[in-house]
Amino acid sequence: MVKLFKWLKKYALLIVMLLLLAAPSVTSQYEFYVVQRGVQNAIHVLGLLILIGYSGMLSLGSAALLATGAYTYGILLVKVGLNPWVGAALAVALTTFIGTGLALPAFRLAGPFLVVTTVGFGEIVRILILNMEPITGGAYGLAGFAKLLPSTRWVYYLMVAALFLIAIAVKRIGESRLGLALKSLREDEVAAEVMGVDVRRAKMVSFALSAMLAGLSGVFLANLTGYLSPDSFTAAESASYLLMVVMGGMQSVTGAIVSSIVITSLPEVLRFLSSSRLLVYSLVLLVYLRLNWVRTGKGSLAGLMKTLGFPLGTGRAKDRS
Amino acid sequence: MLKINDLVVAYEVAPVLHSVSLEVQAGKIVTLLGANGAGKSTTLKAISGLIKPLSGSIEFCGEVISNKRPDEIVKMGLAHVPEGRLVFPGLTVTENLKIGAYTRKASRSEVKSDMQKAFDLFPRLAERCNQLAGTMSGGEQQMLSIARAMMSNPKLLMLDEPSLGLAPVIIDSIMDKIREINEAGTTVLLIEQNAELALSISHYAYVLSVGEVVLSGDSESIAEDKAVLEAYLGGESEGRTD
Ligand SMILES: Nc1ncnc2c1ncn2[C@@H]1O[C@H](COP(=O)(O)OP(=O)(O)OP(=O)(O)O)[C@@H](O)[C@H]1O
Ligand SMILES: [Mg+2]
Repeated sequence: MVKLFKWLKKYALLIVMLLLLAAPSVTSQYEFYVVQRGVQNAIHVLGLLILIGYSGMLSLGSAALLATGAYTYGILLVKVGLNPWVGAALAVALTTFIGTGLALPAFRLAGPFLVVTTVGFGEIVRILILNMEPITGGAYGLAGFAKLLPSTRWVYYLMVAALFLIAIAVKRIGESRLGLALKSLREDEVAAEVMGVDVRRAKMVSFALSAMLAGLSGVFLANLTGYLSPDSFTAAESASYLLMVVMGGMQSVTGAIVSSIVITSLPEVLRFLSSSRLLVYSLVLLVYLRLNWVRTGKGSLAGLMKTLGFPLGTGRAKDRS
Repeated sequence: MLKINDLVVAYEVAPVLHSVSLEVQAGKIVTLLGANGAGKSTTLKAISGLIKPLSGSIEFCGEVISNKRPDEIVKMGLAHVPEGRLVFPGLTVTENLKIGAYTRKASRSEVKSDMQKAFDLFPRLAERCNQLAGTMSGGEQQMLSIARAMMSNPKLLMLDEPSLGLAPVIIDSIMDKIREINEAGTTVLLIEQNAELALSISHYAYVLSVGEVVLSGDSESIAEDKAVLEAYLGGESEGRTD
């Protein structure tokens, strides 16, 4: 039994990937769409794993970075007429650039204060999209852009391949010197600084990596839906991405992928319950947390509370007294 | 090795250090004594670049470091064990030690052999290498924070009250380790509340009072001058020697 468990743990990522590759053949069209969204969310959530799980900086503005990626891709294709691949590359680059800028407030703020800043950023982006109607289509949304690859299925395989490579990279980062620096940041910023970690640079790298993945996920989102609307990028969306990281255990790459797919599909699985759907959804999440499947301690729910700054909410990134 | 000249440091506006000058010679253990709030920790923070001084100069190995970032200073071979042993509670002992070697472009095998050295110095850490640092006892955490600082292979090790909150037996063993580290070639700058203890292991001493150096000299001669010492330390040393 223990052996089986160990075996499963070792090959978990591979198993998940194989299941994902098999998915198009065994799912209905609608189910397939949900799986696609799950994979696309997982790419985003792996970025949040670096930012929130490894580095302990809580962001609730990630939907805005997703939107930046998706809209930049859409706009460059529809309004500028670029090739989809060039559009995708530029979209990811711009999102990374803007996301890195988000690290600037994190130089001075931590805990709930950083969260509020990121929420504010998210709202600014959403309102900009709503109001820059000539470019973004405003509340009507944006449509009419091409996909990266001609068929949905090929886009899906591209996405799974990307997810696999990203998963391995994120895992590696977690074990690398950079990962160690990010974790030391999460644990104790002053001590990290004393150890010679360049705290600002580490924060910027963390924000940049997570924004890059959010941008990529946004590009895929545009590919999946073929239509973009500001409603898909609300603060509530950001919160559900946070949920996916937390439920995934906050440290585990495979956990983050599985929880992204499960949480993406949960509302759909529960659809037969119609009006009581949301109630059951919340109950399932509560029971899950209650059962303590999410570890407490090392970077988990308790860790999240600490990240939020609940026990000692001074709000300053550095308290050198 | 370390030379501080006319250092002025302030947190908000009012200076905490008025004019501190001191010198640490290579190979020695130098202790910095002073009552609570005298500015000892502040001095160390200024040396390791955590706070920028208003004026004055700090020179390390002949190079001015007062305008350098903390990570650059660590790289030059200056390690700081902060007050209250700031280990990384959610990381294992091994991970904590690895971060100690963060600034060095050392190979895996080099880090491993240095980790072995750290384990030789503090065998207790070897037994607990996979334990989360936050779950260790105070004494073990102090050992870890010293071992972690040593992983950067420093020329100068600065220790801020390593005896804080520890039992006398543990304090004695920590002091022995500090002496051992020094004998192996690392210069030490030690902050202590327990003056008698610090003077017993150090070669040279400075006494800080309200942000100024008021007394300095060979540890032995300072130790003899009990009355003067007590006047500056506010009788602290009496109460804490036992
Ligand atoms: N972050 C800070 N902001 C403002 N004032 C500070 C800060 N840190 C220390 N101080 C003040 O600076 C003075 C010197 O503090 P410092 O920590 O250097 O004292 P110390 O000699 O290390 O004392 P102790 O033996 O109690 O550790 C104190 O008056 C303290 O209140
Ligand atoms: Mg102090």
